[in-house]
Order: sequence, then structure tokens, then C-alpha cells
Amino acid sequence: MRVPLEWLEEYVDLTLEPADLADLLTNAGTAVEGIEIIGEELKGFAVGHVLEVQKHPSAEKLSVCRVDVGVEELNIVCGAPNVREGIKVAVAPPGTLLPDGSRIKEVSIRGVASRGMILSEKELGISDDTQGIMVLDEECVAGEDLARALGMPHCVLVLEVTPNRPDCLSMIGVAREVAALTGKRLKKPPFSLKESEKRADDAVRVEIVDADLCTRYAARVIDKLAIGPSPWFMRRRLLAAGVRPISNVVDITNYVMLETGQPLHAFDYRLVKEGHIIVRRAREGEILTTLDGVQRTLRPQDLLICDPSGPIALAGIMGGEHSEVSDGTSRVLLESAHFEATGIMRTSRQLELSSEASYRFERGVDPNGCVYAANRAAYLMQELAGGEVLAGVVDERARAVEPANLRLRVNRTGRLIGIPLRLEEAKDFLESIDMEIKGIEKEGEEEIIEVAVPTYRPDLEREIDLVEEIARLYGYNRITPTLPKTSNNVGGLSTEQKLRRRIAEIMTALGLNEAITLSLISPRWLDLLDRERDCLPESVHSLRNPISEETSILRPSLLPGLLDALRFNLNRRVMDVSLYEIGRVFVHREGSKQPAEPLKLAFVLSGDWIPKQWDREAEKADFFTAKGLLEALVDALRIRRWSMERKEYPFLHPARSCCLLLEGQEAGCLGMIHPMVAKQADLPTEIALMEVDLGRLIECSLELGMYEEVPRFPSIQMDIAMVVKEDVPSREVEKIIKDAGGELLREVRLFDLYRGGQIGEGEKSLAYSLTFYALDRTLKDQEARGAYEAIVKALGEKLHARLR
Amino acid sequence: MEVDRVLEELRADRELSELYDDISRDLDAAANLQALEEVRVAYLGRKGKVSQLIQSIKDLPPEERKRVGRLGNYLKGYLEKSLEKKAGELEKQELESALREEKTDITLPGRYMPYGTRHLISRIIQEIEDIFLAMGYRVVEGPEVELDYYNFEALNTPEWHPSKSIQDTFYVNVPGADYDDVLLRTHTSPVQIRIMEVTPPPLYVIAPGRAFRRDVPDATHSPMFHQVEGLAVDEHITLGDLKGTLEHFAREIFGKDRKVRFRPHYFPFTEPSAEVDVSCIMCHGKGCRLCKGTGWLEILGAGMVDPNVFKYVGYDEEKVSGFAFGMGVERIAMLKCGVPDIRYFFENDLRLLRQF
Repeated sequence: MRVPLEWLEEYVDLTLEPADLADLLTNAGTAVEGIEIIGEELKGFAVGHVLEVQKHPSAEKLSVCRVDVGVEELNIVCGAPNVREGIKVAVAPPGTLLPDGSRIKEVSIRGVASRGMILSEKELGISDDTQGIMVLDEECVAGEDLARALGMPHCVLVLEVTPNRPDCLSMIGVAREVAALTGKRLKKPPFSLKESEKRADDAVRVEIVDADLCTRYAARVIDKLAIGPSPWFMRRRLLAAGVRPISNVVDITNYVMLETGQPLHAFDYRLVKEGHIIVRRAREGEILTTLDGVQRTLRPQDLLICDPSGPIALAGIMGGEHSEVSDGTSRVLLESAHFEATGIMRTSRQLELSSEASYRFERGVDPNGCVYAANRAAYLMQELAGGEVLAGVVDERARAVEPANLRLRVNRTGRLIGIPLRLEEAKDFLESIDMEIKGIEKEGEEEIIEVAVPTYRPDLEREIDLVEEIARLYGYNRITPTLPKTSNNVGGLSTEQKLRRRIAEIMTALGLNEAITLSLISPRWLDLLDRERDCLPESVHSLRNPISEETSILRPSLLPGLLDALRFNLNRRVMDVSLYEIGRVFVHREGSKQPAEPLKLAFVLSGDWIPKQWDREAEKADFFTAKGLLEALVDALRIRRWSMERKEYPFLHPARSCCLLLEGQEAGCLGMIHPMVAKQADLPTEIALMEVDLGRLIECSLELGMYEEVPRFPSIQMDIAMVVKEDVPSREVEKIIKDAGGELLREVRLFDLYRGGQIGEGEKSLAYSLTFYALDRTLKDQEARGAYEAIVKALGEKLHARLR
Repeated sequence: MEVDRVLEELRADRELSELYDDISRDLDAAANLQALEEVRVAYLGRKGKVSQLIQSIKDLPPEERKRVGRLGNYLKGYLEKSLEKKAGELEKQELESALREEKTDITLPGRYMPYGTRHLISRIIQEIEDIFLAMGYRVVEGPEVELDYYNFEALNTPEWHPSKSIQDTFYVNVPGADYDDVLLRTHTSPVQIRIMEVTPPPLYVIAPGRAFRRDVPDATHSPMFHQVEGLAVDEHITLGDLKGTLEHFAREIFGKDRKVRFRPHYFPFTEPSAEVDVSCIMCHGKGCRLCKGTGWLEILGAGMVDPNVFKYVGYDEEKVSGFAFGMGVERIAMLKCGVPDIRYFFENDLRLLRQF
């Protein structure tokens, strides 16, 4: 809402500087988003009086004008069609600078000297009107400074009006707010209508058919109008408020809407058949061409203004093209009606059509303001467009809307806000915003004020709404800040939340970088993740109204987002990537509207895990890097029963993929990306992936480990290298070693894997470092030796392994 | 004093006194271990001067034997001690200079150590959580796919409210069914309803999480973003308590010298409602580009829980009151760390991730 201060001043005395007024309004809930100064660039221009206009001797469309600018007379060549003798115009004498930066020079135009320029509104930077030169009001005096003559520069406040305050969508409403905040009085402009003998109700009949959508319809008839431009003060105010001036009659309807908040519409009376207005719902498929020239097909939810021949306006939103006021109009039917907010909103949404009128109706217009606005507009038409106002208002009321009565408990209000509040104070606040005090009661300790709420404040429906008014008028910034005096409450993180934090810390400590990717992915990923399409798509949630297909699926996995992020980095030449994410995925639950949203942990690795350095080679991120990271995580979480087993997944390399089992149940997968998936997703093939169910991880974790005895006696270290068949898994060898080594064998660590040399074809050598100790004594060499021999024997028997 | 007396006696003998001075001078002159060894040989070797002196004692007349023997032993002792001391010094010196010879370019970079980073948004969420945990709050969560009831209706949002439109809210297709009230939550506020439904007051909770709005991405809009919701319900909670709580929060997160301003505002689910501004972190209130000349930065919306919301969850509005607030995590991160574009948070460019 744009509020020109020179306009506002008509309704309330402004004693504050604009910036202070802005602060005051902001702190009372109507934020001032900006303070604009309009017309600052109008410097050096003068009012000119066109004394004489002659045709240019050699150019058909140009005129040569003699213009009085006070100090002298200037000969100016002008190309505007609307220049004529006797009018007052805006003149830029030679040497002045136009708002667009160009400087006026004395020039010769097709052989005629031209000293200066007669300006259009566009050239003055006032509006976009390029139709012709700007014609000033007649009262302007030749030679007067143009800015002064135009009442400029002037100041506009740009307000952010919250949806609950439709009353502030008008000058009078804002003035009422300012008056309340500054202790001034609201001044409504006095006006007197001179009604003619003819009666409006002879000329107009109003019929409200659908009373649920139209509360009230008031109409006036104004005759003998002369359509023309509005006086400058009106155009200036409309322009500053962001409304384009059109002609006096239309401008007056807009002007009074901005002044009072009541949308108005003027029909050309001749084009309203029989002067008979019917307010009814549209019939299915009924057609109306609105003022913007668009033909609109309507549905029964849309409310229309009709005459007996059909629709003439879209109620509360926009007039029809056919009954529009035009230059030839002399008699208008002025509509000042009240339409229900929800109906207007529905139609406005459906047709994707909104206007200043619909904007106000959607938020709520005072149902008792129709007649005042109709009278005010009729008065202005009488004064500014030569109109003759027919006697009386045709005021059809579907139902009366009475002021609501509310009760405010003063002590409770003070307690809720946290301020001491006296009855008198509360009363003053309510009266300052024009609440009518109906009575004061006492109920025990409580004092109750009963008020009647004016109908222009539809937001005040309950006691709490009045509490807010009191708090706002008291001033939020005057309320003493306190902390809740909590009695029965303890806070803190749950074990699960603590472990979730810990997992993120471990991942970070392991060297991975946390990513946050969108929860919305492309459907392409569904095919890639599940190339057989055997389970995913049917159970996936999609958006009904996505912004784009790329972000239309609720992710069933974190991996697509991470792979997209990986690709983003590679495209920017960031080649060594390690990213992890902790987040929710979406899994359909049969028979449930809402999916399950399990938390997952996933990572992707690509490029070098450790880069090449000045004294050592790079270490690529591969399957075993990923496996090591997952093992480290599981270990750090003190998870006891876990293992990784071979398993194939459609999106993982079939030879390098496995699943993580926690306490025997599958909890996640790990592997290298399937080369086909990589290719289709425009990614390199050497990418390691992991995704695990965070909930399962947390369930199996210990927040803290339990003490286990640490040996105080020296241990014995022995190495063993065995040659086995190529297809023997290392874990099997390790298991046999552990079983055969007995309880003294405490640690088994593979430190070498060797093929070739004296190792035969189809065989490999595995070398383990073994650590033996006892908790109660220093171990004897023979004891370790015995265990060692048992291990060699067992490996020989079970795997035909031999010592290398 | 015995030693001093012997030295005195030695000084009295011109020949031996000279020998003593020679020894001292040679010891001083020895610059390295090898030179020192030469000094030892010169005096204590088989033909060394001190060895010979001691050898010669047996040939002296008996009355001299005692005296020269005493002085000779004194010289020998002095020499041995001095050699040992000097050798120690020289060894230390030589080790030091040898070590110094092992030249290392200590300006070479240290060995690469992988360390990871947490996402800025996670860091900020944790910081916010910690501030409220210290004030006795709990952290709770709710689903990202919500029902109209929790996201709008029970939060007192009128049926016609613009935020419900398909232009503003993402609606979700449920596999194999046709519902029109399943959506991606547009704020974390539905968690308020869910937690109140299952927990009697008093209640002090915050709820961090993702939220979604159908905004075309630009520098300040993203279809997905993060919010932290807060809710306190107890007997006698006041608007002043909301002020105190959020002033404390704002100063914790933006710095002790921040000014905090509360402006009345409108939200469907709180009344009275407020928007909270902090004095601009760049210009400290003078007015600059960041604060668009106002000197203030809006950081969150808040208010007293609307009685209608209490009705939906079965709380007695006459017995308890409460406040709620919600803040955008990205906005706070952008203000705190100067990130100019909200989209950067979800691109996950490692060079950006590793800055925080």
C-alpha cells in the first residue's frame, strides 16, 4: 500500500518527520518498507502559457508555439497533437537537464529555431504517458516553478499491510491508525451533495439473487457528466499510489477506493439494460469479456453483475468491456457493493485475475461503508466532472452486519502480555482505535470492558484480538523482557539424538564432508537405482505440482542427491570428492497417507582419498576405502555384532558390492557404482557408495563402551604367511586362525597379500601378524609357539594351506 | 683448602708453574676432540710431560720425592678432570653442529591429513539447539510429508489462505491412492500440533527440520530450506517471556552487542504476533545495503499461541498460555557468514562446504 503523505495529511495532522512516522507505524505492526520521494528531479522547469500555435511551414505534424514562461516568450517547435492555444504546459528552457540525462539545447528543427521543449509526462518522469504533452491545471501561472505548481517533490510511504488489517488499505484507515498512535483526531473531509429532482430509484433497480456472496449493493446515478482528464491533484495522488489515471469518472472511483477502502465501479448507464442490476452466480460456461479485453468462461462459483441481457461485470474483481465508461459516456451507474471475501478469492484464483478491488474484497471491506463511498464519489463527480447526482441511494441489503460486541478482561490481558495494566489505560487504548465502550463490569478480581467493534475491523472477533491491540498500542518495545518461570520442566537431548550427533562427528573426523541435498529428485534416478524396475516406482511418492520434472520425486534414497552433488563438483573440476549426508528418505506404507521417513546415512567417494604429495603417491578412493570408513564407523560406535556379506544391488558393481549386517539383519549397502549406472548418469566409474539405515545403526550402538581389561604383561608377536587357493576368502583364513589360536591369541591382522614369484598360479599368500597375551601372567614362548603350530595345522587340514 | 695450598706450593716452583700454565693454555686452545686428544698425548701419553714428570720422581732425592710427587699428582688430576670436562663440551658442540648440518626445508608442506567438515546449516542448527537446550528445552521432530490438518487447519490457517494454493505448496501423490490433503510441510510449525497432541503441558521444545515451498529458486528462495520451530507452553507464560527468550537467543547467536526489536505482525497461529529484528550485523544500525537502509535485519517470526490452536490439541486456554517462534536457518547462516545466495547451500561445492 503506497501512501502519499500530502494525501494522508488531508485526514490527520502530521507532526512527525516521515522517518519518525515510518518508525511509529512499523512498531505498531504496519511495517514501512520504504520511503520514496517523488518528483525530486523536476528542477529548472517552468510553467508555460501557450499564447499562439502555428503550423510548421515545412512539416505537417509539427507546430510552432509561442510560449510565455514569465521572464520571456519562447518559440518552441512541438510535435504533440494535443498542443493548443491557451493551455498551460511544462517547459524546459534551453540549458535544462531532463530526468533521462539529456540537456535541452537551442536547435533548428526543419528550418525553424526552437528554444526549449514542451514536455510530456513521460519526459518529466511523472508517468509512462506518451500520448502528448502534459496539460497543466488552468490555475497555474506562467513562469511559476513547475515542481511547485505540481505540488512536488512529495513523499510516499510504502506500507506492508498484514492480511488481518484490511482497514489499512485506505488513506482514511491509515490516517485512523496514525491518529491513534499520535493522539490526534481523524478528519473526514466534509462534503455536500446537491441532488437533483430526479430520483435514482426511478432509474435503477437492484436485485441480489445470491445473497451468500453479496451482502449489500448500493448504487447511485450521476447524470450530465463531461468525461475528460482529472485535475492534477487527483492524477498526482493516483500516480503516487500506483494507479494509472484514465479519465475523471474512472479516476474518481479509484480515488475514492484508495481514500475509503471501498471498491467502486462505474457502468455507462446506457449500456445497463433497463437500469436493472442482477447479482447472481454465473451459469456454467457463461462468457464475459472483462475490461482487460480477455474473454472469460465462467463457472457457477463465480459471482456476476448482470443486467437482464446477461453479465456486465465480474463482481468485485473487474468490470465488463461492454459497459465500460468511455469518452461518450454522460450518465453512469455507480456501484458500491460488499462481496464476500471467500467467493472473490475463489474466482480470482480460478481465473488468475486480481485487481485493486479484488485485493481489498479478499481481505475484507467494511460492509457498512458502501453508502459513504458512493456519496463521496458522487460528490467528486459533481465537483470535478460536472455531474448531476440523482436523488437517493438505491441500497439493497441482503443482510445487516452489526458491530460485534467483545469483552476484554483487563487483568488477564496484563498477565498475558506481562505488563501492569490499569482499567483506565486499557480503556484509553481501546478508545484511541474507535472502539465504543459499552460498559465496564467487575467479576471478582477481574475487570471487564465491553466494547462494540466497528465493522471496518473484521480482524477483531475474539478477546485475544483485543489483547493484541492493547499490546501493540502499549508498544512491544516497552514490555520488560523476562524468562519463563518454569517449575516442572527439564530439557536435553535424547540418547538417540546424542548418537546422531556423534555419528556426524565421526564421519567428519574420518575425513568426509557433510552435504545437504534436496529431498526432491529426478524420476530418471528411479530407473538407474533399480534398473529392473521391479520394486521402486510403484512405491515412490511424487509431487502433484512440481516446479520441474527434475525435482518431482520424493527421494527413496540419499544416493541420487549425493551423486548429483558429486557430478556438480566434477563439472567444476573439483575431482577429489568425499561427501556424506544424514537425512530422511520416503518409503510408502501400505494403507497410510504419510510415508515412513527413515533416517539414512550415505556417502560417495571419488578421485583421490589422499592426494599425491611431494614424497608419496596418491591413494585412490576405492571399494576398500569405503569399506574401511564403514568399519571405522561401526567400530567407533561400539557395535558388537556386525558383518559385511557379499550381495548384489542393481546400481552397484556386481563383483564389488556388499551389504552391512547389524545383529544379523541387513542395514545397508556398500560398493562401487555399476558402470552402466555411471554411464547413464554421466559420471565416472570409479565411485564408491554407501548407504545405511541410521536408526538401525543407532539401535545397535553403545553410547559408551564397557571396560575390558587391558594386559599388563608383555605380549608376544608372531607373523604367519600361508599360501592358499586364490578363491579362498581372507575372512575364512582369519576365522580358522582365530579358532585354532585359542584364547591366548588376541589379535589377527592381515598385513600382506602376495601373488606371483614363487607362489604358484591360482594361489596367493596371505601374511598375518598375530598377537598373543595372557591377562594374568607373562606368556612363555612355548605357549605362543604351541598356538602357532595349531594354527598351521588347522589351516593345512581345512584349506590345504601351506607355510610360505 | 688443601687444594689451594697445593696450588700455592706449585706456583712457588717456577718450572712446574710454567708446566701448569702450558697445560691450561693448551686445553683452552683445543678446538675439537682431535686437538684435545693431542693435548692428552702431549701431557699424559707415555712420553707426555706430566707422565715423564711422574716417572722422574723415583730418581729424585728423597726429600724432593714427596714434594714433586704431590705436585705431579695434582697436575695429573687437574689435567684429567679438565680433559673430561672439555671433551664433554666439545662433544656437545660437535653434535650440535652436526645436527645443524642435517638441512631440512621446513617450509615444505606437512603430510596431508584428511579431515571433514560439517555443513554450515547443520552447524547453525546445532548452535541453535544448544542455546535452547541450555534453557531447558527438548529437541523434537515431525514428518516432512504432512497432512493439511497439521500444516494448516490445526494451525488456525483459514481455508482460503493463499499459502495453501497449489502455487505455494507442494502436494504429494500417494502411491495407489488419491488424496488431496497430503503435502510437503511448508514450515516446521505442524510439529507444534503433533507434540501438543501427545504431551501435556508444561512443554518447552524446539523442532528443527526441512520445509518446502513452491518457490522458483533465486538468491533468497529455495524450494527446500530449514527452519527451527520453538514452542513453550506453561502456566503464566507471557509475551514478556517470549521477548526475553528471543532476546537471549538473538544475542547468543549474533553477538552480545546486538539490539533486538519486536514489531507487531500477523500469523494465523499466534496472537499477539511479532516479527523480530536484530540491529544490522554489518552497519550496526546505521543503514547499509544488507539491511536495505533500515539498520535492522528480520530474523524470525513469533507470537503467543493462538487460543484456537490450543482448542485443536485439547489444551485449556484458561489454564495455560504459550509462545511459539519459527526461524529460517539459511537466513541466519547467510547473515552470520555472509553467504550471498541460498542456492549455494544445496549445490555442495566442496570448496564452499570446507569454508565453515
